[in-house]
Amino acid sequence: MKTVNLLLKAFLAGGLLLLISACTTTEIDEFRQSSTKIEEDSSIVILGRRQSNAYETEENFVQCVGNVVASGSDGINVIPEPLFLDEMFPFFEPRMAPMRTDHLAQLMQQEEAAKKFEDFGVKYIVWLDGQTQRSGETGSLSCVIGPGGGGCFGFGTWVDDSNFEAEIWDLDNLSTAGAISADANGQSYVPAIVLPIPLLARVETSACSGLGEQLKTFLRGNA
Amino acid sequence: MREMMILMMSSLKHMFTGFRFLAPVVLCSLLLGCSVSVIEISGNYPSPLVTQLPLTLGVIYDDNFTNYSFTEIDEYSGEDQYIINSGTTQVQLFNTILPAVFYEVVFLDNLEDVASHPGLDMVFQPAIEEFQVGLPQKTRLDVYEIWVKYNMRLSAPDGASIADWVMTAYGKSPQETFGSVDAGVNEAAVEAFRDLAGTFSLGFTSIPEVNDWLRSNNML
Repeated sequence: MKTVNLLLKAFLAGGLLLLISACTTTEIDEFRQSSTKIEEDSSIVILGRRQSNAYETEENFVQCVGNVVASGSDGINVIPEPLFLDEMFPFFEPRMAPMRTDHLAQLMQQEEAAKKFEDFGVKYIVWLDGQTQRSGETGSLSCVIGPGGGGCFGFGTWVDDSNFEAEIWDLDNLSTAGAISADANGQSYVPAIVLPIPLLARVETSACSGLGEQLKTFLRGNA
Repeated sequence: MREMMILMMSSLKHMFTGFRFLAPVVLCSLLLGCSVSVIEISGNYPSPLVTQLPLTLGVIYDDNFTNYSFTEIDEYSGEDQYIINSGTTQVQLFNTILPAVFYEVVFLDNLEDVASHPGLDMVFQPAIEEFQVGLPQKTRLDVYEIWVKYNMRLSAPDGASIADWVMTAYGKSPQETFGSVDAGVNEAAVEAFRDLAGTFSLGFTSIPEVNDWLRSNNML
């Protein structure tokens, strides 16, 4: 019984130690090219870049940043990405989306597109581009199940690295207002003695909240 | 000893009686594991924001197009792995695009039907020439991919060819977002069909033969 207690204490202490270690480091960088200001009745739209073959900016991440920007007393109106893409169809589909602000200027010359922008009251377009990559997966974890019960034993760890960049386009000037980048990384651990205890580094969530808050400050013109 | 043997035999018999009911379930599960998966593509397609051409278009979807199905073969077993049915959704797609691009669209059963519609300017027939699917387990990429090659035929009501051109469509969907292959393939296919809708609606008047015809008929 004493041995079990000792083992349990050691396990808890180890878990606590790892919990402290399973944290995330986030770095936010901002580059401003022109001043920004957004009125209460204006909106922004946050769109994910999806032109690359190897990866695409996840819809969930775009939605997460949108939620952060729209939240709080200083929240900004954010048009949901799927609604905007459908209403502006096909101008923002992956192969047709403007890659530079001069392409946007060409798009604004099309009467149908310009009218839709006006209807939405969009003042800024935010392009999100990036992904989360996993590396350094080590360790092994095995689980067994038998007539008398089951359990897991082992240890697994990996590193998640999120790199995202937000490019802000000003629709009044048809120019780039600035860019914000978020780089978050963290190591996750899963020790298992009978039960697996996942100590996960919430890297993407951290990048999302950091980028969203900075974007809000940037658009409000407070930076 | 004899009693013990009888008891053991009885327990074994009891166990096998239990398995008798379990066996069909296990067998069905194993068969299901090897059976082909049928994916019915479905999606919603928005109407494109384009300037309508002042034309009356007749459109014919032949049986190959309306019932289009692609079979992905398992490279190891050589057996059918996935059957992807996309005919219905592609008809839905063209039924959305064409009325946005053309002033009037008349749906025809076949070429003989053209004679009974004297107001037609053009007759359009889409066809699928090639369909490819990229599954993450085969490509080692983290995305499901769909690539489709179309042959578009446009003719005058008298049957003379106006244009005959090839269009390709590509769509992909991230693997992590979708729990099942069916959902991932469906999303990639819908992306590909949206891609086609975009390139068709924005690029129709830029097809050289179409552009020549439109100019010679004072439509541009």
